[in-house]
Amino acid sequence: MTAAQAGRSAPSRRQLLAGAGAVGAGAAAGGLAGYFSGVTADASGGGDPGAQTVPFYGAHQAGIATPAQDRLAFGALNVLPGASRADLRDLLREWTSAAARMTAGGLVGEVSAPYAPPADTGEAVGSPVSRLTITLGYGPSLFDGRFGLAGRKPAALAPLPPLPNENLDPDFTGGDLCLQACSDNPLVAFHAVRNLARLGMGVVEHHWMELGFGRTSTTTTAQATPRNLLGFKDGTRNIRAEQTALMNDYVWAGRESDQPWLRGGSFLVARKIRIFVENWDRDYLQDQQHVIGRAKVSGAPLSGGTEFTTPDFTARAADGQTAIPADAHIRLASHEHNGGTRILRRGYSFTDGIDPQAGTLLGGLFFIAFMKNPAQFIRLQQALAGDALNEYIHHTGSAVFACPPGVRPGRHWGDGLFS
Amino acid sequence: MKTHGNRAGRQHLRIGMTAVAALLALAAAGCASSHKAAGSSGAAQASTVTIDLTPQGCTPRPARIASGQVTFNVTNKNAGAVSEAELRTSDLQHILGEQENLTPGLSGGFTLNVQPGRYTINCPGASQPHWTLTVAGKATGPSWQSNAQLSAAVSGYSRYVDQNAAALVTRTQAFCQAIGQGNMTQAKLLYPQARVYYERIEPVAEIWGSLDTQIDGRWENPVTVASQFTGFHKLEQLMWENNTLAGAPQLCAGLVTHEQQLLKLVRTAQYNPLEMASGATDLINEAATSKISGEEERYSNTDLPVFQANVQGAMEVVSLLQPYLKQKDPSLVPLIDRRNSSVTRALAGYRAAPGYDGTGFVEYSTVLDSQRQQLAAQVNALAEAMSRISAQVSS
Repeated sequence: MTAAQAGRSAPSRRQLLAGAGAVGAGAAAGGLAGYFSGVTADASGGGDPGAQTVPFYGAHQAGIATPAQDRLAFGALNVLPGASRADLRDLLREWTSAAARMTAGGLVGEVSAPYAPPADTGEAVGSPVSRLTITLGYGPSLFDGRFGLAGRKPAALAPLPPLPNENLDPDFTGGDLCLQACSDNPLVAFHAVRNLARLGMGVVEHHWMELGFGRTSTTTTAQATPRNLLGFKDGTRNIRAEQTALMNDYVWAGRESDQPWLRGGSFLVARKIRIFVENWDRDYLQDQQHVIGRAKVSGAPLSGGTEFTTPDFTARAADGQTAIPADAHIRLASHEHNGGTRILRRGYSFTDGIDPQAGTLLGGLFFIAFMKNPAQFIRLQQALAGDALNEYIHHTGSAVFACPPGVRPGRHWGDGLFS
Repeated sequence: MKTHGNRAGRQHLRIGMTAVAALLALAAAGCASSHKAAGSSGAAQASTVTIDLTPQGCTPRPARIASGQVTFNVTNKNAGAVSEAELRTSDLQHILGEQENLTPGLSGGFTLNVQPGRYTINCPGASQPHWTLTVAGKATGPSWQSNAQLSAAVSGYSRYVDQNAAALVTRTQAFCQAIGQGNMTQAKLLYPQARVYYERIEPVAEIWGSLDTQIDGRWENPVTVASQFTGFHKLEQLMWENNTLAGAPQLCAGLVTHEQQLLKLVRTAQYNPLEMASGATDLINEAATSKISGEEERYSNTDLPVFQANVQGAMEVVSLLQPYLKQKDPSLVPLIDRRNSSVTRALAGYRAAPGYDGTGFVEYSTVLDSQRQQLAAQVNALAEAMSRISAQVSS
């Protein structure tokens, strides 16, 4: 039995903490327990917002309609040559159990057996769970016949066609599976992906991984609009979880899907978008505002009003030109200009450090969006071919995944796909 | 060569009556002193024995201590002819811990978990070299000695290490002979052949940290001082990168001397099942890191045969422990075997006859990054399974 399946006997982060609390610095001889004795954070009670959990089980997977957390760890994984259909199904079962534990604030497994490598890697001990969600997706390549899943492939699940303004790095493109972990605590999100990948050794390996350090979208009416690395508010007109009609029309896969196992799920499109921030920062304010179509500080559309005023794409400025320029980002991306097409954006700012040759920031927006069909994203991205913003950004990574619906207690992530 | 982190990690796991690293090795490994005690045994009592090296001897103070974690602090006060203290079994057959190379004024030490019994502190060169240390109390470690399967595995491992250390010396002598004859082509063929024997037993050699550096030290890990870069990899650099044998015969003679010291030490060293298990994981970890990256054999590109040697050394441990493990955790050995087969299959793609420099494999620089990644994934999976052995042989 694996540690994750051993489930109930494993301590929670809090329990472990409480247990270690009385142990002083002299605990070294006690083995690994001593390691945790130094952890004193999160000693407060249940009123701590960090203690909030998001239910793992439900009709939909958490991490889609969930109010966007501040931090992201995203892993794309490939199944190893030689791994079988049964290996994959067993892994999904094990992952489900581990994810349910972690999202409830628990550890993957025991950390105290002195002569076994700790079942949990331990870095999140003492960290509040901070609304951790873990969302699983299947890439198109998973259905290529290796696992007898070709007949289960949703017709809409295919690598994205070539799109404007992209130069994709194969090292950040595609993947058989994805794991999206979001939390308000960066260590907790990272810990989730690290431990699931570790459980998967011998069956899957990381193809690529990205950490997001600040949310760039708002997914509920209760949240304030965050800013991306352009310094602009992002996601002002995003779909909100409370807008259930829009969620059903544009986000959740339903009866239109050719694969019953996908109903209640959603497609995840990930795009690694580098922003040439140094160039952007040298652009004068009015031009930046023209590129986006909004005022930088207030977020109001250039057609007037406040942040949440609906943009008037026909309004004219004093010079007779449209107040929101013809090539402004918000115009070209708007549903008004795309036959009503909308998506649920849920992206994060990222950085991979500094370009060793140019000395410039390797960073930008790790764009994530959920939708009923990837055709929605394709349409919007094609419409952005003439986007004024393209001078400052470049899409360098891309992936699409079909996220199954939520898990009911006692079931596991792969049940629908493998049944 | 292992990374510092790995070596420090192994220190945590060493228990019982075992050969241990000197404190100097710990310092070289960048291991904080507080790490050394943590997690090593679960024994509550930690105590200290002070040993002053004098021309007369090395009396331990106190001469009677409780079993458990014991730190031996060794200082050479004024003994010009005495430079080391060893903790040996009372029959003097096995070295359990030692501090070497202490000239007058220097101090050092070692820490280990000591079981009840009588021991001898040995300080060669003193007028009275043997001093008795009595350890009282209850046994604190797992009593693997009472298990026939584990005892047999440990004995088998001792033989395996002895055989490989002996072959290492012989093969290195042949390598040095080619160097002495100025035969670069032949020397290049013999270099990887000799290294295989070291790479099978490297975790044992690392017990004596300075010897590991002298034999297998890489430029940056942990040497970085030209005069101390003296082992296999310096010779590798001379032959493949500098294309010269100038100075090589002297370096090779020094290498053989260090290997002979190693051979002498392994013949009296005693291992335990936990050390075997963690050493096996270390070997696979090493294959997954310094071999996959190509950094270990960076001048010669002969990484594949030593990669295979790491796996062989680890699988020898599995093979020796197999009778025990099959009863303890019936699923573990089949899992390790499956993953080892995957590694073997992945490696088979790079076999060649006679191969690059006669190694039986292609030159490692021709293995593409994407192929290295595949190899790494399989060997990491093997390491993950291997890491589950330690708990099984310790409880």
